[in-house]
Amino acid sequence: MPTNWPENPKIIGTRVTRLDGMAKATGRAKYPSDSHPEGMLFGAMLYSPHAHARIKSLDFSAAEKLPGVKAVLPAGNIKAGSLVRFQGDDIAAVAAETEEQALDAIRAIKVEYEVLPHVATEEQARAEGAPEVFKGGGIVKNVRKGRSVTIGKPDDAFKGDDVVTIEASYSAPVITHVCLEPHGLTVRWTPEGKIEAWASTQAVGPTANELAGAFEIPITDVTVHTDVMGGGFGSKFGADIWGVTAAKLSKKAGGLPVRMFLDRAHEHMGGGNRPSAIAHVKLGATKEGKLIGMIAETSGTGGAGAGSAFPLPYVYAVPASSRTHSDIFVNGGNARAMRAPGHPQGCLVMEAAMDDLADKLGMDPLAFRLKNLKPTDMVEDGFSKPTVDRTPVYHDEVEIGAELIGWKNKWKPRGHVNGGSPIRHGLGMALHQWGGGGPPTNQVACTIFPDGAVEMKTATQDIGTGARTIFAIIAAEVLGLKVTDITSNIGNSTFPPGQPSGGSTTTPAMSPPALNAVTLARDELFTKLAPALAANPEDLSLADGQVLVKGVAKMAWKDACRKLGMQPISVVGKSSPGLASQHGGVAGCQFAEVTVDIETGVVRLKKIVAVQDTGLIIDKLTWETQVYGGVIGGLNYGLFEERIMDPTSGIMLNPDMELYKLAGASDIPEIVVHAYETPAMKARGVIGVGEPPTVSTAAAIGNAVANAIGVRVPHWPMSPKNVLDALASKEGKA
Amino acid sequence: MADLDQKPKVGASRRDFLRGSGIAAATAVITGPAVASLDEAKAAEPEYKVVADTVTLKLQVNGKELSTEIEPRCTLLDTLRNRLDVTGPKRVCDRASCGACTVIIDGATVYSCTTLAIACQGKKVETVESFDTGPTGVPHAFVQHDGLMCGYCTPGFVTACKSLLDRNPNPTLDEVRKGVDGNICRCGTYIGVLEAALAAAKAMKGA
Ligand code: FES
Ligand code: FES
Repeated sequence: MPTNWPENPKIIGTRVTRLDGMAKATGRAKYPSDSHPEGMLFGAMLYSPHAHARIKSLDFSAAEKLPGVKAVLPAGNIKAGSLVRFQGDDIAAVAAETEEQALDAIRAIKVEYEVLPHVATEEQARAEGAPEVFKGGGIVKNVRKGRSVTIGKPDDAFKGDDVVTIEASYSAPVITHVCLEPHGLTVRWTPEGKIEAWASTQAVGPTANELAGAFEIPITDVTVHTDVMGGGFGSKFGADIWGVTAAKLSKKAGGLPVRMFLDRAHEHMGGGNRPSAIAHVKLGATKEGKLIGMIAETSGTGGAGAGSAFPLPYVYAVPASSRTHSDIFVNGGNARAMRAPGHPQGCLVMEAAMDDLADKLGMDPLAFRLKNLKPTDMVEDGFSKPTVDRTPVYHDEVEIGAELIGWKNKWKPRGHVNGGSPIRHGLGMALHQWGGGGPPTNQVACTIFPDGAVEMKTATQDIGTGARTIFAIIAAEVLGLKVTDITSNIGNSTFPPGQPSGGSTTTPAMSPPALNAVTLARDELFTKLAPALAANPEDLSLADGQVLVKGVAKMAWKDACRKLGMQPISVVGKSSPGLASQHGGVAGCQFAEVTVDIETGVVRLKKIVAVQDTGLIIDKLTWETQVYGGVIGGLNYGLFEERIMDPTSGIMLNPDMELYKLAGASDIPEIVVHAYETPAMKARGVIGVGEPPTVSTAAAIGNAVANAIGVRVPHWPMSPKNVLDALASKEGKA
Repeated sequence: MADLDQKPKVGASRRDFLRGSGIAAATAVITGPAVASLDEAKAAEPEYKVVADTVTLKLQVNGKELSTEIEPRCTLLDTLRNRLDVTGPKRVCDRASCGACTVIIDGATVYSCTTLAIACQGKKVETVESFDTGPTGVPHAFVQHDGLMCGYCTPGFVTACKSLLDRNPNPTLDEVRKGVDGNICRCGTYIGVLEAALAAAKAMKGA
C-alpha cells in the first residue's frame, strides 16, 4: 500500500504547540553551551586583533604556567610565519579549570605581529594603488571578475524609440548572523578513544564527520548531540576550527571535556556573514510597461575567502539581459550561507530597479510587476525545475496582499505630499522566490513499544522550526493518538541519517520518511493484532486512542500494544515520491507601510503584510512563527543591520549587540501573515518555509521609503544617515 | 596605521571594570595575585595583574542557599552558569545589550552578565527555573502563543515578562513592548512574545 498524506487530516495543518516548548520556556532545556560534563575544562580562543598581519613569533610558555591551565595549542596550522587575514582570525586556544583562568591564559600568550597593509572595505580593495592583499585563483587587484551571463541582445534592446530606461546604483552592506548561541561545542574523549560532543549545530551528521575526519578515526567512534541549539541561520554546518581545536585540547588534557564557545565579538568577526551587494543597473521597458532589457554590473564581498553571488535578474521576465558579477576580497571574516543565501540581495536590487522604472513610466508599481512575471516557478539555479505555473499564483498572492495592506486606497505616486508635515507616509512591495524542497535521502525510525509508547528517531536537529513536533504530529495523525503521546528523539548523529537544517529542507526532507515509518509500523501492528481481534488486518483502523474493527472501537491503544508481548515494532521509513516537493518552488509577496520623518531621517514601520505559499503545512502555529521570524529578519536587514569596518585600522567597529543594531519589541509593527494554501499548493507536498519570507521584506521597506520621501535611498539599511543622505542629494540636484 | 598590538579580548572590560569602578569589596579579598606577563611592547603601560584567587560566595538562588568558590571578578551570570549549573539565563552579548541573561534580584529586573556575583550576597536571586510552570504561569503562555523558536533568548524574555507582570499586572500592549525592550530575539519571535505576555496577564488574574 503506497503511503500518502491523509486526505482529511485531524492534526496535520492545525495549530500544535511545541513538544519541547515548556523545556525551553522554563530554562530547563540544556543547550550545548549549557552542558557541563564531569571534570569539564573551559576553552577560550585567541584571535587576531589585526586586519592583516604576519605572526613573527608565538610563545605559550607564560600561558602554560598559569594556575589551572591544562592545555594551550595553536589554532589549525598557525605557527610563526603564518598570516592572519582578518580581525578575528584564529590564532591559539586554551583549556583551563575555570573560564577566568582560560581568559587569563589567552592574555598571557605572547604573539609578535608584523602588521601588514589591509583592505577592509570594498572601496579600499578596489581603490587605485590599493595593496594587493589577495592573489591567485583569478584574483586581480583584490577582485575576481566573474563570467558575464548574457541572454539575448541587451545592447540592442535599449535602442527603440519607445524605450523608457533607468540607470541606478544600489547597495546593501555585509551583515552578520548574530546567532544568540555562539558557534561552539563541548567535547570529550572517552577512555576508549571515542569522541562525544554536544555541539551547537544545524547538522549533527556533518559535524560528526568533520570530527572523525580531523582525527582520522571511524565515524562510528564519534557521537554528536544537539538536543536544542540557539540559532544558526546557515552558519553552523560543522565542527569548525573551534570545535576541532577544542577536541585537540581535550585530547591533550587526557580526554577531559572542553567547552569552547566564541565570545560575541569573535562571533561577529569569524562566525559568518551575508556578503554585501553593490549593483549598477540599467533597466528598460516599453512605454506600455513591458520589460525589454537589463544590464547589470554587480559586486560584493564575502570577506577574505568566500564569494558573494546573488541571483539577478530576479523573479521577472527580462527578455534580454547581461550580468557581470565580481567578488571583492577584503580583510574581513568569511561569508557563510545566511537565510536564503543571495536572494535578499538579488531581490532588493531587482525590486528597487522595478520600482524606479515604474515611477519613471508613471505606472502603479503593482500593475507594472504583474505585467512582467515569469511563468516558471523557480529562479533557475541549475538543479531546480518548475513545479507550478507561477504567474497566476503571484496574481492571487498580490491581490490578497494588496487588499490586506489597503493598496488601492492608500497608495499614492512617489513623493506625494500631504500638507506640510515632515512625517511622510509610503507604501512599498516586493516579490520573492525560493526552493525549499527536500532531498529523498533520509530515514526515520518508528518504534511502537509494548507499553504503548511511540518513538520517532532520526539524526536531524531542531534549529528552531519545531522538528520534534513535526514528527509527533505525523505519528499521532497516523496512529490516532495525541501529539503528546509521541516521543521524538532527534539531535544525535548516531541515529538513522537525517537532514542538515539548511535551505529550508528539514521539514520537507524529513516528513516523508516519518510518514512512511509510522505507516509501516502501524501496518505491522495491524498484522500482529488481527488474530487476537478475529479480524483481517485490512479491517483495522486507529482513532482517538482506540483500535477499531470495521469502524467500531474494540480495544484501547495501550491494551493493543500489550499484545506485542516483549517485542516492540521497529521500522525504518524512507522517503517516497510525492510526499514532499523535491524541487520546492515557494514564493510570495510582501507589502510594507512606513512613515519617514524627513527632518531626522527616522523610518518607522506601520505594517507589514506577508503572503506566502509553501505546499502542505504540517503545523500551522510553528509555520506562522517561521514566517513572522522571516519577516522580522528581513526587517532587520531593511532598517538596522550593518557590519561597520574602519578603513584606517581595518577592524569592525560594532562587534557587539549595541552598535550592531537589531530590532527590539518596540520596532515591530503590525505584521499580517497570510498562508496561501490552495488545494493545488497542498498537492505539491511538504515544502520548507524558514527562508522564503525573509527575502523580500528589506526590498519592500526600501520601496516604501522611496514612495514616502520621493527619492530612492540607494543604500540599505534605511538608517537615518542613509535616508538623510538621499534627501540631501535630491536637494543638491533640485 | 595605529598600532593596536595584542589587545586582550573579553577580559579587557572585566579588568577595566574592576580597576575603574573601584570595587572595594573585590580588592579587599584578593589574596594571592598571580601575574601574567604580557607583550614586551606593553612594558611601558601599567602592568596588568591577574586575579587568580577565590572567595567563598553564598547566594540565595530560587529559594535555595547555594555556596561556591569564585574569583571576585566573576559575574553573577558566569557564577550561575559555570559554577552552580543554573543555566536558564544565557550568555549572549555579555555587555548589557540583549537581555538573555535577565534575572530578578530582590524584585528588580537585572542583567546578570554585568552584575558581580559578590554584590548579590544576601539578596534574593530568582531565575526562570523557579517560575510557575502551570497554566497561569508565563512559560505556559509562551508555549501556547509560540513565543519561541530556537529558544535561546526565551528565558530572558520570560523573565522580563514575569518581572513586568509582577510590577504591573494589567499592562497595555505598549507597556509590554517597553517591558521587553531590553531583550533581543534573533529568530524573530516578538509577535508570539507580545501575545504571550498579554495572555499571561489575563491568566494570572483568572487564577
Ligand atoms: S548577555 Fe547580558 S544583556 Fe546580553
Ligand atoms: S528564539 Fe531564537 S533568538 Fe529568540
